[in-house]
Amino acid sequence: MSKEKKVKKPRISAGKLARREAMAGYLFVLPWMIGVVIFLLRPLFTSFQFSLNNIRITPKGRMFNFVGYQNYTQIWLEDPEFPVELMGYMWSTLLSVPVIVVFALIIAMLLNGKIHMKGFFRLIFFLPVIIVSGPVMNMLVADGAATIPSMDIQAISTALDQFLPHSLVESISELFNNMIMILWYSGVQILIFLSALQKIDGSLYEAAKIDGGSGWECFWKITLPTIKPMVLLNAVYTVIFLSNHGNNAIIGMIQNSMFSGTKEKGYGYAAAMAWIYSLVVTLIVLLFAFLLAGRKDIYERQVIKVKRAKKKEIQMVKKIERRGKANAKKIQKARLRKKYRSYDKNRED
Amino acid sequence: MKMTKKLLALFLSATLALSLAACGSTDSGDVSSETKTEASGEVSEPVVNDEGYSIATDLTTDEIELTYFHFDSEITVEYLAKKFMELYPNITVKTEYCAVSDSNTTLLNLVNNGQTPDCFMFSDADFALSNYLLYDISEFWKNDPDAQNVATTINDLGIGCYGTEQRYAAPMKFFPGIVYLDLNVLETLNIEAPRQDWTWEEMTQLIKDATDLTATPAYYGLGAYNRLDSLYGIAASQDIQGEFGFDGKSFDLGVWAVGEQEFADLKLNGYVAPETETQKMEDWLGDWEGWFGNSNRVAVFTEAYWTYMNVWGTDAYAEAGMDIVPYVIPAVDEVEGLHNSIATIDMGGVSSGTEYPREAYELLKFMGWGVDGWKTKLEVFSDPTITNAAGVAMKHDSMPAPITMDEEIWAGYRALYPTDEEHGKYWDAYFESCMQPIPFGWMSIAGYWNFCDQYFNSIGIHGLVDSGTAKAADYAEEATEQANYYHAEAMMDYFGIDINAAE
Repeated sequence: MSKEKKVKKPRISAGKLARREAMAGYLFVLPWMIGVVIFLLRPLFTSFQFSLNNIRITPKGRMFNFVGYQNYTQIWLEDPEFPVELMGYMWSTLLSVPVIVVFALIIAMLLNGKIHMKGFFRLIFFLPVIIVSGPVMNMLVADGAATIPSMDIQAISTALDQFLPHSLVESISELFNNMIMILWYSGVQILIFLSALQKIDGSLYEAAKIDGGSGWECFWKITLPTIKPMVLLNAVYTVIFLSNHGNNAIIGMIQNSMFSGTKEKGYGYAAAMAWIYSLVVTLIVLLFAFLLAGRKDIYERQVIKVKRAKKKEIQMVKKIERRGKANAKKIQKARLRKKYRSYDKNRED
Repeated sequence: MKMTKKLLALFLSATLALSLAACGSTDSGDVSSETKTEASGEVSEPVVNDEGYSIATDLTTDEIELTYFHFDSEITVEYLAKKFMELYPNITVKTEYCAVSDSNTTLLNLVNNGQTPDCFMFSDADFALSNYLLYDISEFWKNDPDAQNVATTINDLGIGCYGTEQRYAAPMKFFPGIVYLDLNVLETLNIEAPRQDWTWEEMTQLIKDATDLTATPAYYGLGAYNRLDSLYGIAASQDIQGEFGFDGKSFDLGVWAVGEQEFADLKLNGYVAPETETQKMEDWLGDWEGWFGNSNRVAVFTEAYWTYMNVWGTDAYAEAGMDIVPYVIPAVDEVEGLHNSIATIDMGGVSSGTEYPREAYELLKFMGWGVDGWKTKLEVFSDPTITNAAGVAMKHDSMPAPITMDEEIWAGYRALYPTDEEHGKYWDAYFESCMQPIPFGWMSIAGYWNFCDQYFNSIGIHGLVDSGTAKAADYAEEATEQANYYHAEAMMDYFGIDINAAE
């Protein structure tokens, strides 16, 4: 039997109404698109263009001197501070993000529970987002409010120094040194988790409780799988927040390079630094996306397993059917040639 | 309804596009070909409010506006601007204040946006020179009588010329180098006050003698705001023209290393009072935020010039039991007459993009070294009713000293400081001996700040030597090479001068 020809769907041109709707949609997104072009794509292109030049800002205009990739090579080969700072930033971000996200999740779960003055506590945890910025943060850090005095960080770092690379130990020490400050960064993440937690259907917990599920099991099998997309969102948000924070040493380095009088530095050099930095930030975001978005929970794994088994079963059935048909054909041919011999003596061909 | 939505969307888009177009900047225009590049030196001498002034007659009579960018006191600069406009009614002066920490950023952003001020103060020479912000004011300076009557080192050592024949910058604010002594502490410890023309060795000996760690709380010889090595660099020899042993052509950090090591040794041996917000301070005075300057337990202070007027000379400190007197920073060797000493001098310049360089120079002079400007400043400093935002009289708000040698100005300025029999002699002697200032390197030497930024500060030499983990002399040779390299690079980059070839 010949295969049936695929019937092409007739093209139906959009009606007047549909075109109008589409046009209205485009008009509504137009401001955003203009914004992207002017405030994102154009600066991106300009900063890349800058990064290939040595630039001086003079009262008579910008002086561009094309240097190709020299700014990039200069950063890696002759600037001893930037790669070191970049490495420190990477370690500290990789360590801080899980701490902040886990802390935010714990606090969000506590705030989502049945406690008195829930609103007040929510306010307390969100307050640092509003007040801990710029000079206030610097004053608090200067007064030692960002550390936990009872924690013997020296002892921790000495112990870790024996079996971990020094740069990693430094980042861990920094993490402990600024533990309170890092936890202050979790205000927004707590809010995101809270909103996610409040959307979980209560009947799921009810059903689990009826089946004898403990709180611990409910967390791992209901809460966490449900809010998993928010974990990724918060991880990405935290990476971006830490990368753009005012206390970030690399931001300071880039700014200093912009206004440095050193021959090699200036806007071009700073733009090259910013591109390298943004590349590293993107890699960290991708790493977290890979770690969190790619992981399937137990139910998803079971569903996939069942689907695979069903698919296999269907394939097996089809295979059996195909073989059955092939065998039937063979038998038919043999009968026609009178060569078919049946061992069933009662049967007459 | 849909039509309304579409119109609304269209309106929003158009508004956004228009507002963005409005944000665009225009390029700064070329410098007018009719600008004056020389000063005639001719003046008229009107009397305003019973005070005689000298007004340059070769300035434009057109209605113009000049912008002055600064990190000086806003109150004083506003007052000066008003007086300048009274003297030159056709010139409108617009002042722009920015904190010194943000001044480079703000100034460069203004330049980038085509809003370059006509004259300005700058916080480091490399920043201003590398961006070609400075106009060559040599001709104006040569024909300016006030410019010939400033502290002698400014012209003798070409401070503001950066090793060239041209002048690019001029002194705007001058804070002479100073060492303060607390006579009460010396009396308590039964130590005689040193002579006014003391030497470096006498100072360090006094620091050691005045230290008594057995007392509770301990007495310390030195309270250091400025590091001793900063002072030593100039004090070491009269041939030195700048920090790090700069002789006008090259550096020799061997000189610096001696001072650095001496200061580190004093610190390591317990002669230097703890710094604020340290555990040592907590242990010493029982106050984490304590300050050695009001401890009554320190004999010698390398504090800033303005600390006396801002702190010790205020009514709040009258009952503090301190008896502070000024001493000039001593020279290492005995010197006949006056000797050079380090000072804080903030420099300023005329913008290379200004349309009115002659007029901008006159404004800069009025704000900085000019006698007329100083007459006006003295009005501000002498009037206790003119106060800053905190209600503090302006003479207690980091008041600078006149860089001009004009006797009338100095008589007025001297009257602001103690004149009583006991203290007057100290101030008289000090003011007589502080007028050979040499500014910190970042204001006067091309490439200096680049060297500090790229090499010196990045390896943390001070910390290493102060903690005793390294000797200053070990760094001297390499640091000298680096400093000379950055200086040579800068001279070539900014002025096209190959100083190595010139040698």
